[in-house]
Amino acid sequence: MDTSIGSEYDSLREEVRSFFAANEDVAVPAGPGFGGDASEVRRRVIEWQKRLVDGGYAGREIPQRYGGAGHEPDPLASLVIEEEFQSAGLSLGMENQGISMFVPTLLHFGREDQKQDLIRPTIRGEMIWCQGYSEPGSGSDLASLRTSAVLDGDEYVINGQKIWTSGAREAEMMFALIRTEADAGKHAGISYIVLPMDTPGIEVRPLMTMTGDASFNEVFFTDVRVPATNVIGRPGQGWEVGTYTLRFERNMLGRSNATESYVAGCVDILRETGLIDSPVYRDRLLKLEGRVQAMKYHQLRLLTDRLKKRDSGAGGLIVKLNNCQLNYDICALAIDAMAERGVLRRGSKHVRDYGNWQRNYMYALGLIIGGGTAQIQKNIIGERGLGLPREPKPAAA
Amino acid sequence: MDFGLTQPQELLRDSIARFLAQDVGIERVRRVMDSDSGRDEAIHGQLGDQGITGLLIDMDLGGSELGMQEAAIAAQELGRAAAPVNFHSAYVLAPLLLAGADAGDRRNALLEGIAEGRSLITPILDAPIDDGRIDGAVLYVPDAPWSDAFLLESGGSLHLLDASIPGIAIEPLETVDDTRRVAEVTFSGIDLGEAESLGGSADSTQRAVHAARIALAADALGAAQKGLHISVEYAKERKQFERVIGSFQAVKHICAEVLAEVDPVQSLLWHTADAWDGGSDEIDHLAPLLKAHATEVASTAVTMTTQVFGGMGFTHECDMHIFYKRAGYDRQMMGNPTALREQAASVMYA
Repeated sequence: MDTSIGSEYDSLREEVRSFFAANEDVAVPAGPGFGGDASEVRRRVIEWQKRLVDGGYAGREIPQRYGGAGHEPDPLASLVIEEEFQSAGLSLGMENQGISMFVPTLLHFGREDQKQDLIRPTIRGEMIWCQGYSEPGSGSDLASLRTSAVLDGDEYVINGQKIWTSGAREAEMMFALIRTEADAGKHAGISYIVLPMDTPGIEVRPLMTMTGDASFNEVFFTDVRVPATNVIGRPGQGWEVGTYTLRFERNMLGRSNATESYVAGCVDILRETGLIDSPVYRDRLLKLEGRVQAMKYHQLRLLTDRLKKRDSGAGGLIVKLNNCQLNYDICALAIDAMAERGVLRRGSKHVRDYGNWQRNYMYALGLIIGGGTAQIQKNIIGERGLGLPREPKPAAA
Repeated sequence: MDFGLTQPQELLRDSIARFLAQDVGIERVRRVMDSDSGRDEAIHGQLGDQGITGLLIDMDLGGSELGMQEAAIAAQELGRAAAPVNFHSAYVLAPLLLAGADAGDRRNALLEGIAEGRSLITPILDAPIDDGRIDGAVLYVPDAPWSDAFLLESGGSLHLLDASIPGIAIEPLETVDDTRRVAEVTFSGIDLGEAESLGGSADSTQRAVHAARIALAADALGAAQKGLHISVEYAKERKQFERVIGSFQAVKHICAEVLAEVDPVQSLLWHTADAWDGGSDEIDHLAPLLKAHATEVASTAVTMTTQVFGGMGFTHECDMHIFYKRAGYDRQMMGNPTALREQAASVMYA
């Protein structure tokens, strides 16, 4: 067992700390204590993102020619940076579908001109992306999707509908899975296409979620024309490209950076209310602590696997399932401890922490479902992790 | 950064697992379970030959002078095999209490005997010592009928009492886990002068207790992992409705949920053992938190994996109940999860 990080990283720690000191004016806190006016929050988050990119903390491993800092991948450097941000209580920057999912996919499958055009504005928070995957008839069975594109000269003409599209109204761009070859097989006929959201023929209708935010949307396509060169990878390679993206989604949704901040926030509430002395609340808190600590060291085990270029097997597959549920349960305890105050939501007089507890409680439930439902995660764990056989296809009627 | 076992530790784990698979198979475990006494006389010598009894004992006394990480490796493998031995008591608590006792020939001889697997010393914490007399009944004492001596601890002070001294009555209790038995030991007004005073301190006692709890947590983890393993294997073989039952999501999801809960416990165990070895202050909350969490997860795990076997899971013939009971014993002994969560909380949120 060696959990030391090595003195060669001491200078990196110093560098991160002086970065904090120099950028105090726009620093965005992590955890439940940040909120307020939505447009001001958004402005601060984008400004902080630009500083993070310029400082080399966001887009750290993206090549310089695409606007990143061009560092070699170094999981230990990332860990040191995460630790410093965590102990300073600061946000590690934007985590969204463009930065966390699309960019790594584009780096792997994209053409040079696509990388040149799209990566820089994306990592700087200037180009927001949404993901066009799910359809009304294609949820867990994603490959059954029917939104289609027909080649007309050097353009694709797209018709169909996407659903559960987070951030579609704010997004400048969409990456989407679209059926381009109607006669190819279920998986073989799909292409991964990028398109500007202001293209004529795209209509976005907000879907109000249970958190009270309209963060989801339906997106309708009526004869939407995009250049045939907007395909990432080869036409018909979309399933491979799209599932590559989903791997990053599982990592993004399973990340536990904020978990410890939320536990600390929960302890604050228990102390303020005096419930920290209640045996019942202490027991619930300590049950959560056991799970939080176990997942914290589990992440170090996965980090070691990455350093040794070793497959984590089932160990990697359980992270999204566990952390989403854990975040949900932490918020539940905080809300219980607030008693009646726990019914208040954002904007209300007397609300605590901008209503973030209630919002994140429900949002965590959304994440338990989204990005591959908990039930689909259990299929993946059972089949890929434990070698249990797939459910057989029903016999044709 | 290398979070996990070192190569020598992995070799140790593999060699213990190999030894247990060859020499302490489930048939032998079942013979001990079905016996009246629950005693496996030979196992102590065999564990001594393998170096398992002396992991925490100094080299010049015949041990291998390793640490808690190695002791936890052994405990986890013993749990996985349901080996009929109270490792946490005889080979973790006893040698660590003795290591904290005053140096001397007597202490050294005892440690040498443990390292060889010749001596079985049973510690009794918070022993009924009052006014120069050992007087009273002590419950739930592991290995009592065949202990060579009792190591009585009271207020951090240690006293060694030979088991053959008159005035000690031992009555075995019926225990659920047949692989490890406990007894009631009654001391009838024995003069403390009959025992040998060995010194000791409250700090070293506390450290030994932490270690024994880590060992019980590791045992429970091993039992839970074995229970999951055999239930997954069963789910790949057993057919109903012309399909193996592991292809049904109802069964598959049980296995996936258990894996998702059990797997991170390994990392918490490694970290806690490492904190013990490094002398970190964290151990005061980590050891109780680990034992609470590991045994809680193990209880849920064996409850769920028993159901994978359907009716077979409720039979004596199916091995699953052995691991179910194993985890239950680990859960109750030396502080149950609720008590230990409170203990951890009192350290963390003082």
